[in-house]
Amino acid sequence: MPRLHRQPICVASALVVPFLALASPSWLAIDGVGPAWAVLWLLPWALVDGPVSGALAGVALGLVLDGLNLGGLSQVPALLLLGWWWGRLGRRAAPIQRSLNLGLLAWLGSLGLGLSLILQLWWRQGGALDPLTQSWGLQTLWCEALITGLLAPLLVSLQLLLWRRRVPS
Amino acid sequence: MAPTLRPGKSRWRGLGQLTPWLLLVAGLLMVRLSKGAGFTDAYALLSRPFWPGPAQREWVTAAADLEERSRLQLLEDDNRRLRGLLELRQQGAEDGKVSAAVISRSSRGWWQQLQLGKGSLQGIDQGDAVLGPGGLVGRIASVTPATARVKLLTAPGHEIGVWLPRSRRHGLLVGRGSSRLSLRFIDKDPDVRPGDLVATSPASTLLPPNVPVGVIQVVDEQAVPAPTAVVQLIAAPEAIDWVQVQTR
Repeated sequence: MPRLHRQPICVASALVVPFLALASPSWLAIDGVGPAWAVLWLLPWALVDGPVSGALAGVALGLVLDGLNLGGLSQVPALLLLGWWWGRLGRRAAPIQRSLNLGLLAWLGSLGLGLSLILQLWWRQGGALDPLTQSWGLQTLWCEALITGLLAPLLVSLQLLLWRRRVPS
Repeated sequence: MAPTLRPGKSRWRGLGQLTPWLLLVAGLLMVRLSKGAGFTDAYALLSRPFWPGPAQREWVTAAADLEERSRLQLLEDDNRRLRGLLELRQQGAEDGKVSAAVISRSSRGWWQQLQLGKGSLQGIDQGDAVLGPGGLVGRIASVTPATARVKLLTAPGHEIGVWLPRSRRHGLLVGRGSSRLSLRFIDKDPDVRPGDLVATSPASTLLPPNVPVGVIQVVDEQAVPAPTAVVQLIAAPEAIDWVQVQTR
């Protein structure tokens, strides 16, 4: 069976993620907070290619994005777990393709990613977050989850359509 | 096909199949260790036609007049105080300043940083101060030959020492993610009130001295062990398309 990770054009599509993260178009943002581009790429990849490939893709994306961002917070653990979870969902259940389901999965993924970052921040600040950081963290978390969940039905559906054509199950 | 009777050969074949993956992992680690230098340089090359034009630069220059006036006042006060007491040699205002376009901005999300279109080839180095219209914006955190990454003052946990010119007290300005920063004082009675200007220390060696940073908004005098204040930045990173880097 042809696998997604054996098709160079599909693997190369991941390069779009760091460039979108750098471009961070302001018209695709809520209160200045853009979507989690890594989640929007990883969700269809893991659903089509399975848990192992999803987890590895999550680690790879996380390493690249960590290199682009300052501050020492890492996205690798959250993206690894999300890639594994979505890969299992894609293997076990009937194909997920409804807009609402995709939006909900992306929303949950973005929340998980944001919570992992808040947790790391909390850990680095000695187990306590001051009120200003708390309110900023929660606002960023909800804004990112909302815009990611809203964009997912459009972008993830398109990627699923293209990738499932290339890898018929 | 019958299984091979030469385990050594199949082992080498397995290693050959793994080689592309090992190369990929090595490549990813190189990206991580180089802090995405290849990506940022490629992005700078691709986005060059869309960088802000000269009109924006003139607007920034005009807007910087206000900052220059307050800087001048601070410098005059400072010179009067120090003249004859210390032989401090301060650099000229325009010495070592490099104008750079902001080619990527992340000022409201999880990471507060800017990407500039100039790098070490133009003399920018790690730790250099970055000034926008209104005052200090952040410091250079990493450089590539063609780009530089700025860690904004608003980044959570980013700390710089600051000075209150009116009361002549020092404090520690800490980024909290939003455009409001937290100012921690060392003294129990810092003699501070809303509206006071916050600037870099006149004796600072890490940052250019007497650069305006922000304005005190709220003071919490009940905080322990010392009072704290909320500071609003003068230079808004989300609206800046050109910055000046003070090289050392």
